[in-house]
Amino acid sequence: MKSLYIIGTVESGKTALCLGLALKFREEGYRVSYFKPVSIATGIAGMKDDDTELMRDVLDIKVPFEKMTLFTMGHNYLTRYEPENSEKYMADIKSAYNEISKDCDIVIIEGTTNPQAMLALGLDASTISRRLGAKMLMVSRVNDDFRMDELILNLQYMKKAEVDLLGAVFNFVPTPLLERTRSMYVPILEKMGFNIRGIVPERKELTAPTVREIYEVLGGEILEGESNLDLLVENFLVGAMTTDSALRYFRRSKNKAVITGGDRADIIHSALETSTSVLILTGNLYPDVRVLSKASEKSVPVILVPYDTYTTIEKLHGVSCKIKATDEEGKKQSKELVENYIEWKGILKELE
Amino acid sequence: MNFKTSFFNPKSIAVIGASAHPGKVGYEILKNIIDSGYIGKVVPVNPKEHEINGLKCFKDIKEAGGAELVIISVPASVVPKVVEECGEAGVLNIVIISAGFKEIGKEGAKLERRVVEIARSKNMRILGPNCLGVMDMYTPLNATFAGEIPERGRIAVVSQSGALLTGILDWSMKNRIGFSRLISLGNKSDLNETDFIEALADDENTRVILCYIESIDEGQHFVDVAKKVSRKKPLIILKSGTGESGTRAASSHTGALAGSDIAYTTAFREAGVIRASTLEELFDLARIFVSEPVPGGSSVGVVTNAGGPGILSVDAVDKSELQVAKFGKETIDRLRQKLPSESNVYNPVDVVGDAKSDRYAYALDTVLLDPNVNSALVILTPQAMTEPYKTAKVVVDMKKKFPDKPIATSYIGGLVLSESIEYLEKEEVPNYAFPESGVRALAGLVKYSEYIQLKRDESIGELSGLDKEKVKSVLESIKKDGRNVLFGSESSVIMEAYGIPVAKSILTDSPRAAVSAADSLGYPVVMKVASPRIQHKSDVGGVRVNIKDSSEVKSVYNEILDSVYRFLPGETIYGIEVQEMKPQGRELIIGMNHDIQFGPLVMFGLGGIYVNLLKDVSFRLANYITPKSAFDMIGETRAYMLLKGFRGESPSDIESVVDVILRISKLALDFQEIVELDINPLFAYEHGVAAVDIKMTISWE
Repeated sequence: MKSLYIIGTVESGKTALCLGLALKFREEGYRVSYFKPVSIATGIAGMKDDDTELMRDVLDIKVPFEKMTLFTMGHNYLTRYEPENSEKYMADIKSAYNEISKDCDIVIIEGTTNPQAMLALGLDASTISRRLGAKMLMVSRVNDDFRMDELILNLQYMKKAEVDLLGAVFNFVPTPLLERTRSMYVPILEKMGFNIRGIVPERKELTAPTVREIYEVLGGEILEGESNLDLLVENFLVGAMTTDSALRYFRRSKNKAVITGGDRADIIHSALETSTSVLILTGNLYPDVRVLSKASEKSVPVILVPYDTYTTIEKLHGVSCKIKATDEEGKKQSKELVENYIEWKGILKELE
Repeated sequence: MNFKTSFFNPKSIAVIGASAHPGKVGYEILKNIIDSGYIGKVVPVNPKEHEINGLKCFKDIKEAGGAELVIISVPASVVPKVVEECGEAGVLNIVIISAGFKEIGKEGAKLERRVVEIARSKNMRILGPNCLGVMDMYTPLNATFAGEIPERGRIAVVSQSGALLTGILDWSMKNRIGFSRLISLGNKSDLNETDFIEALADDENTRVILCYIESIDEGQHFVDVAKKVSRKKPLIILKSGTGESGTRAASSHTGALAGSDIAYTTAFREAGVIRASTLEELFDLARIFVSEPVPGGSSVGVVTNAGGPGILSVDAVDKSELQVAKFGKETIDRLRQKLPSESNVYNPVDVVGDAKSDRYAYALDTVLLDPNVNSALVILTPQAMTEPYKTAKVVVDMKKKFPDKPIATSYIGGLVLSESIEYLEKEEVPNYAFPESGVRALAGLVKYSEYIQLKRDESIGELSGLDKEKVKSVLESIKKDGRNVLFGSESSVIMEAYGIPVAKSILTDSPRAAVSAADSLGYPVVMKVASPRIQHKSDVGGVRVNIKDSSEVKSVYNEILDSVYRFLPGETIYGIEVQEMKPQGRELIIGMNHDIQFGPLVMFGLGGIYVNLLKDVSFRLANYITPKSAFDMIGETRAYMLLKGFRGESPSDIESVVDVILRISKLALDFQEIVELDINPLFAYEHGVAAVDIKMTISWE
């Protein structure tokens, strides 16, 4: 039995990679399990970790949820967990891991938001992976040189901490940066002695949120298009311009969410003439019935929210894209990305 | 039988939902049909009644044996069933008066679509729903629920607002205006304004077509039809929703995007439509078009008994398409001969306050005899010696004597003049309360006469060297990349494929690649950031010009990136475009915007960064562009004066600019997925032109 610790930074696509590798390994005949010892508090208190739920479901894991995710990271985690108990905590993790890894060929361990999380308790990625004897794969979504430095720092730290490091994956690289990644970033890392295990191009289907995910964050009332909540949202635009410029502006971006007031029939109709995934109407201004009728004709969901435009946008920062267990397309895509862009055979070899 | 004439003159009419109770819509319609003197067969249909208004009532349309025209006034939910039965009974046309369709929202819209589907499957046509109905004063037939039938006249009205029509009807009774036909469009579920404009073109009782509309469906078809109709008879349209608030209100009222007002203005002009900007102007124009001939030119002679209104009238003339006529010497001499010495014998002719009808007669006759005068405005104010009624008779006589010259009057007054004004109206002399309205109406006539006299080359002409395949392949690659906005390097390939001279451009992703691109293009070069989301590149330091050598290219590459990231952190930058640097020419803009209603709309104007400020631009529909209209576009702007060579400057190559306008139009017509295109600037030289910055947006719907 071997284990693979996948660690990265926020929104780097760790879960998609875990899912893709797990599905691929299983297809290859391995018994695969999953462990996420430290989770992060998202949204409402008491809500279970989405990633763990997903993997339990997909991999059909029988171990109770409480054993799969033991600790929750948060702004004040040091008041919940006591530093003097840190050895006990690590022992809990180990025993949970032993239970999960029973009758298993490969355990995929997913890290939390960033490599340093819970360093104060000694429950950070480097310590856990060393104590569990896991091999580590570092995932990063490098979209500029700042993030490149951050990736190097993390890799260097792991090396110094004597973690068994398999290398790095450039995940969800936007098309315009593919060439820069290949010709500039990769040679720099290789020269430092790090292996590159894959360059994965960006997939809107896996990185763009759906209307449903937006609705879950915003709340409000769905006035139209309840059956189209799975549309992807790639862009967010605020509609506060004159009618004539609206069309010009809206035509420039596709699959977008348009945020505007319910009284702006002209803006709404302009948006509906272009590629729009959702209309978010602010200020609780109920739109004209004919507007809704048009939205229904075009199959575009309409969400009415009580907040002003600024507050709405602030709230939208909390939207992130999650794969659901029922999302067959998302699962398929995750696996395909692993097959096409990740050196999964090399990784597998290291695990044998 | 043509379905359109059959709406106005059917052999039989059934009223489904006819009622025996006064005050109900179904009662009023049936009563109005009978009272209007309609001589065809009238059949009431209502399962609950046996007899209404002395007519046998049937339980359904099939039992009634069908009818050529059916008026439906039953609850919306029953309409599909009733329309279905009409189909089975062989009905030709249906007017749905009932409300409760698209205007009430989603469910209503669904119901409306179902009704149209049923009608289409049975080859029936629908007017409405949610409308007032139709009237034809010559049949005669009043198939509406609005009260009295108006007088017979030569004006037909098509209105998207039924309520407005009822107002117009009542107002017309008081103002003695007659009509030929009235049509209330309602929700335009099937037949729309274009269909009825076409029908009215063939109606010999209609001399002028008036429309009130909030939106035009099928814009391109409308222009095709209106172009033909307006050559036959004047088509005057009042289109509401022109400003910001109006557009919003119209969008909300009609449940559709209202479309840009510039597109409407351009389309109307192309189609020869006379556009009224107010309800008052709509009828001011209608009254002059109904009775007056189309003038031979734009010169107007004014005869007045009051100096002030005379001056006001020529002020208005100067602001319009009209000219103040310059009298020949003979006219001036004759006027001087008989008019009092204090009279003004030049235009405006002031016959002064004590003028009686004979002096008006002499002056008006003299003025109208002058070949330099194409039309006349007679102004009268009630003064002590004035003879308003007799003077009105003079005007009527002059109309007979000069049948080719339109005459309008402005009797300024109220009580004292009412009898004379009534007489003028009866004799079909268009009289206006104030001279400015009279001038505006005369100007409408002139605009129309210019339109029908216009000789046009009807095609875009031969354009050589168009490489469609090339454009197709570039567009395909952008689609693959999932982008809507093109890079300059891609746009310039498209321009070249359509024979438009461009500054060549290469997209690079590193300073090294930029240097080799610059080497191949030759120095100096221009460098621009390539990012589809940045609209105004120079605002974020994304454009640098006159870069002279390779070391400068390298440093500028990074300077541009630094600057753009500073303004727009997190922006996705595809690289830097290196572009051939063209010598400075006259800066022009040629643009294209695919209008939702009317299709591609091309624009020409003075270019550079002040475009939006100066707005020195002109527009045409690409669909109808010709070498002549492209040239006219240039001529309409002040940029034309610059291109011709201003104050000793050398002239620019206008012919090449015309060619670019034509080629952009062709490109927009061939590739409808191109929704926006701006060449700004296009440099115009003494010989040739060059497109220097090109923005293009594609839509994949």
